[in-house]
Amino acid sequence: MQRARLLFAMLAALLLAAAPAAAQEKQPIRIGAIYILSGAFATYGEFARNGIQLAVDEINESGGILGRPVAFMMEDSQGKANVAIQAARKLVFQENVDLLMGLDSSGVANGIAPVVPELQRPFLITHAASPDVTGKLCNKWLFRNSVNVNQNMKAAALVAKELDARRWTTIGPDYAFGHQSWEFFQKYLKAEKPDVEFMAETAFPKFGAEDFTPFINAVIAAKPDGVLISEWGGDLVNFVRQANNLGFFDQDFELLMTLGAATEVLYALGDQMPEGKWVGTRYWFLGKDTPRNKAFVEAYHKRFGNYPSYNAQNAYAGVYTFKAAIEKADTVEPERVIEAMSGLEVEAPIGTYTIRREDHQALVDGFWGVTKASGDYPIRILEPMRVFAAADITPPPEETGCNLQQTAEQ
Amino acid sequence: MTGRGAARRVTLLALLAVLAAWPWLAPYFAIFLMTEILILGLFAASFNLLFGYTGLLSFGHAAYFGTGAYVAALLLRDMAPPFLAVLAAAAVGAAVVALVIGWFSVRLTEVYFAMLTLAFGMMVYALVHQWRGLTGGSDGVAGFPLTAPLPGVAVNIADPVNYYYLTLILVAVSAYVLHRITVSPFGLILRSLRENSERASFAGVPVRRYRLAAFVVSGLFSGLAGALFAPFNRIAVPEMAHWTQSAEPVLMTILGGSQYFFGPFLGAGVFLLLRQWITSYTQEWMFFLGVILAFLVVFLPRGLLGLFDRWLGGRS
Repeated sequence: MQRARLLFAMLAALLLAAAPAAAQEKQPIRIGAIYILSGAFATYGEFARNGIQLAVDEINESGGILGRPVAFMMEDSQGKANVAIQAARKLVFQENVDLLMGLDSSGVANGIAPVVPELQRPFLITHAASPDVTGKLCNKWLFRNSVNVNQNMKAAALVAKELDARRWTTIGPDYAFGHQSWEFFQKYLKAEKPDVEFMAETAFPKFGAEDFTPFINAVIAAKPDGVLISEWGGDLVNFVRQANNLGFFDQDFELLMTLGAATEVLYALGDQMPEGKWVGTRYWFLGKDTPRNKAFVEAYHKRFGNYPSYNAQNAYAGVYTFKAAIEKADTVEPERVIEAMSGLEVEAPIGTYTIRREDHQALVDGFWGVTKASGDYPIRILEPMRVFAAADITPPPEETGCNLQQTAEQ
Repeated sequence: MTGRGAARRVTLLALLAVLAAWPWLAPYFAIFLMTEILILGLFAASFNLLFGYTGLLSFGHAAYFGTGAYVAALLLRDMAPPFLAVLAAAAVGAAVVALVIGWFSVRLTEVYFAMLTLAFGMMVYALVHQWRGLTGGSDGVAGFPLTAPLPGVAVNIADPVNYYYLTLILVAVSAYVLHRITVSPFGLILRSLRENSERASFAGVPVRRYRLAAFVVSGLFSGLAGALFAPFNRIAVPEMAHWTQSAEPVLMTILGGSQYFFGPFLGAGVFLLLRQWITSYTQEWMFFLGVILAFLVVFLPRGLLGLFDRWLGGRS
C-alpha cells in the first residue's frame, strides 16, 4: 500500500507544481532582455542593464509609450545558446513579454536565431556581431542595432591598409566570432591591399580560457607584422594583463584589438591597457558631438558613475528603437511592430540610424582609435579617433546572404 | 498483494492521465518545463540502473547523453531522416560508445570506476568541443529542422505541445522497459552484484559481463534522453557532454532516492522546479541550490521518496 500512497503523493506534488498559473497585469509594455549576467563577462550584462534602466526610466518619466508604462526583466544567458533559448521561452511564455532584446555572443545569437520565429516576438540583438543573424539565418523577427562583424572588420581593414604591415595573423576566441572576424578581415584587407599575406599560424584560445600564455608566446615566436586580436570582455582583460607580462606589446608588430575600446575592458584594465595601440568599438562615448549623445553620456555618468560602453548605448538605443516602432505601429501587436521596425529610423546617441529592410541590420557607424592616457578620464581614450560612416563599411544587402522575401513565407 | 498491485496501477494510471492532460492543466510555459523534467528524468533513471541497481557510480554519463544529442543534431542537420529513426540511431550510437567505454570501465569498481568514467566522459567532451569541422566547436550544432516522426505521419513536432507528447510517450515506454529490466532475473542479478559481487561471482555469475550489459543498456537510454534533449533545445552544445551534465543525474537520483525506481524522475522534477523558482529571484541560483542539496543529502540519505516512505508508515 505504501508504494501506492507514494505515487499518489507524487501526483499531488505534480498538481501543485502546475498551480501558480500566471495572473499577469497586462498594463505595462514588457521588455525581456537576455544578457550575460554571471561569470567573467558579467560586466557586459551590467552595462546593458544600466542602459535599459536609464532608457526605461526616461520613457516612463515622459509618459511611457502610447500612454503605457514600460517594464523590463533580465535573464542570464551565461553566454550559452541553450540557456538563452530556454530564457527566451520563459520570457515569452511565462512572463508574457511583448519584446525581446539582448544577446552578447555570436555563438548564442546563431543558436537562437532559428528558434525566434516560434516565439513570435520582435527580437532586437544589441551586441552579438555574427554576420549570420542578418545573413543566412535572418528572419522577419530578428533585428540588430549593433555593428556586426562585417562592418567592424571592414573598418579594421581600412585601418590596416594604412599600416606598414604585410604579414598578418590573429588571436581570437575559438567560436564563431573569432573565426569569422579573421575570415572577414582577410577578405576585406585582401581587397584593399592585395599584397598582404595571411599566416597559417593562428591562435584560437577557448572562449573563457584563463591562460593565454602559450598563445601569446606562439605569436611572438611567429614574428608577424600585424596581429588582429578579436578577444573581448573578460578574455581580453586577461589577455592584455598576461601579454603585458610577456612583453607582447613591446614587439615590433602592429596590433588591432577589434573590441579593445569597450569601456568595460578599459575600466577593468586602467593603466594596464598599453598606449598607442589601435582599438575598435561599436560605440565610443566621445565619438559624437551631438546634443543627444552628450545628454546620454552625462545622464549615464551621473547615475552610474562610469562612461557608457557600446553595450550600454546599444541597449539604451534598443529600448528607444522599440519605442519608435510601437509609436509608428500604434500598437504592441508583434506582427505590426516588426513591420514598423523594418526600415525604421531611430535617433540614438550613436547617431540616427536606419534599420535596413533587406536584412534588418541597422546602419550604424564604426569607431576605431589609438589608445592614449588622459588626465580628464580614468580610462584610456581614443586619440586620434576615426569614425567610419555606416555607408562605407556595411556590405550591400545582396552580399549578406539574407533573403527575407523567402524566409517570410516560413 | 493484489490490492496493493491494483492501487499501484490506479495511481500510475492517474499519474499518466495528469501527464497526458498536462497541456490543458498547466500554463503554456509549464509544457517546456515538464518536457525537460521527463527527458532529464529518463536520463537520471538510466543512470540509476547502474548506480542504484548495479552499485556502480558513473561520473561520465554525459558522454552517452552528449553522443545522443550530437548524433541526433547532426543527422537532422545533414540528412533529415524521420525523427524516430533519428532517435533510434542516436540511442544505438550512444550504446556503442557505452560498450567501448564500459569494456574498460567495468574492470574497476568504486572510486576507480567513477574516476575512469569521468576521464572517458571528458574525452568525449574534448572530442565534440574541438572537432570544429564536424561539431561546430563551442558554437554547437543548431538550425537543424525537426522532421516528421515517421514517413507519412505529418505531425509538426516543432510545436511544443506535440514535442511534449512525443517525449511523454517515449519516456513512458522507456521507463516501462527499464522497470521491466529491474524486476527481471537480469535485474535481480544486477542487485546481487550491488550487494556482494564476490558472492555472486562464486555463485557462477560472470560479473563483468553483467556489469557491461547494464552499462550498455544505461548508455542506450541516456543516449535516447540526449537525442530528445538536443531537438528540444534546438541545439546540441558541448556542455551536454561536459562533466557538469554528468553531475545532474547523480544529484537528481540522490535527491529523489536511488532505492526507488521513480526516485530519479522525482529528483529531476524537484531539481528543475527548484532551478526555475530560484532563478526567478537571483542569478546566483547555483549557490542556493547547493545549500538546499547539501541539506537534503545530509538529512535525507534515502532521498525525498525515502522521506515520503517514512511519513506514509513504510519501512523503517
